[in-house]
Amino acid sequence: MNSFKAHITDLLACPDCDLLLEQRHLEPGQKACCPRCGHVLYAPKRNSVDKTLALALTGLILFIPAVFLPIMTLDTMGFKQAGSVFDGIRVIYESGYFFVALIVGLTSFAFPLVKLFLLFYVSLHLKLRRYPHDLPLFMRCYRYLDEWGMLEVYMIGILVAIIKLHHIAHIHYDFGFVCFIALLFVALASSVSMDEHEFWERIEEKPV
Amino acid sequence: MMSESEIITAREAGFFLCHDCHKLIEDRGEKISERCPRCNAAIHLRKPNSLTRTWALVITAAVLAFPANILPIMKVDFLGTADYSTIMDGIIYFFTEGSYGIGIIILTASVLVPCFKIIGIILILLSIHFKWKTWLRHKTLLFRAIEFIGRWSMLDIFVIALLQVLVNFGNLTTIEAAIAATYFTGVVLSTMFAAITFDPRLLWDA
Repeated sequence: MNSFKAHITDLLACPDCDLLLEQRHLEPGQKACCPRCGHVLYAPKRNSVDKTLALALTGLILFIPAVFLPIMTLDTMGFKQAGSVFDGIRVIYESGYFFVALIVGLTSFAFPLVKLFLLFYVSLHLKLRRYPHDLPLFMRCYRYLDEWGMLEVYMIGILVAIIKLHHIAHIHYDFGFVCFIALLFVALASSVSMDEHEFWERIEEKPV
Repeated sequence: MMSESEIITAREAGFFLCHDCHKLIEDRGEKISERCPRCNAAIHLRKPNSLTRTWALVITAAVLAFPANILPIMKVDFLGTADYSTIMDGIIYFFTEGSYGIGIIILTASVLVPCFKIIGIILILLSIHFKWKTWLRHKTLLFRAIEFIGRWSMLDIFVIALLQVLVNFGNLTTIEAAIAATYFTGVVLSTMFAAITFDPRLLWDA
């Protein structure tokens, strides 16, 4: 046990089963799994900071058109009705379901936007080798928000709505549809390219 | 390979693991500072009051699941006649229409996933209370699956939001959310929080 304590920086513990393990150097593409419970401990990625920065910035640019432009227009018997992601939040709020509107607003609008902003902020500062004191706080916020951004669930929701509606009306796909799909892929790719282990190590190793 | 005798947990070795940044912190015996030196998060050996909080949230979810499934979730107004439908009505509609694929997706996301989450978490909690030490790896895997699928139940709510925007043809046809939408959102939120407050290491500690 004393030999363990000698080099604590070479050790890590599995967050799912608390097993104490020795940290090994891995090449990008490899991953380390816990031998007891199978949890993925870390999986280094090539150019994680650069990729995350580029993808988060792209996501931020796509965000406004993807959420505010109409996704599709429904056309039936002379009536035309277009709708965007933001309209969905607005109509639920207007029909009086404030709690549902709040949760839909947070998960399909606010949290995805904040997540992209946090990734952009953290990776930009790591890239520029600047270490403001709020960097760890922003990384923690990202961790907490990670599962609450639900763009991919929304995408499936759009597909289900299309299948429900294509019998009763003609559907035109608008520019917002393309932007939303692009945003979805960029947001997913930015989460995947972010190597949490490396980000935390770089935050810790800040040069004085 | 690791033999049984070499298995040692961070707790046994006197280390704390930071919940937020996964840094190992040494317990020096004296009153250690309660914040992680790397990320400034509060340090606990295990998530505080994990079992009590998870029980409370999972029971909340189980209670809310009843109004969510019994009350109508959507109101379809066709030429002035209002027609209310529950989650199950929507699923049955797809099956009678012959759209089995989409019916199965909605059935999975709105009914099977919430049931699976509630039953799964209760099973894991009971196994800790009664110290069932078998199938630990599988129970951890079950928990990871519950964590992963949690968010997908929001699907039905997003579909209703989109339908309400798009199907709005004045007096002809309108679609609106109905009361069960609130309860259903409550079920999704409380099961997601239950997965967050649960600490899977308690399975292995038992």
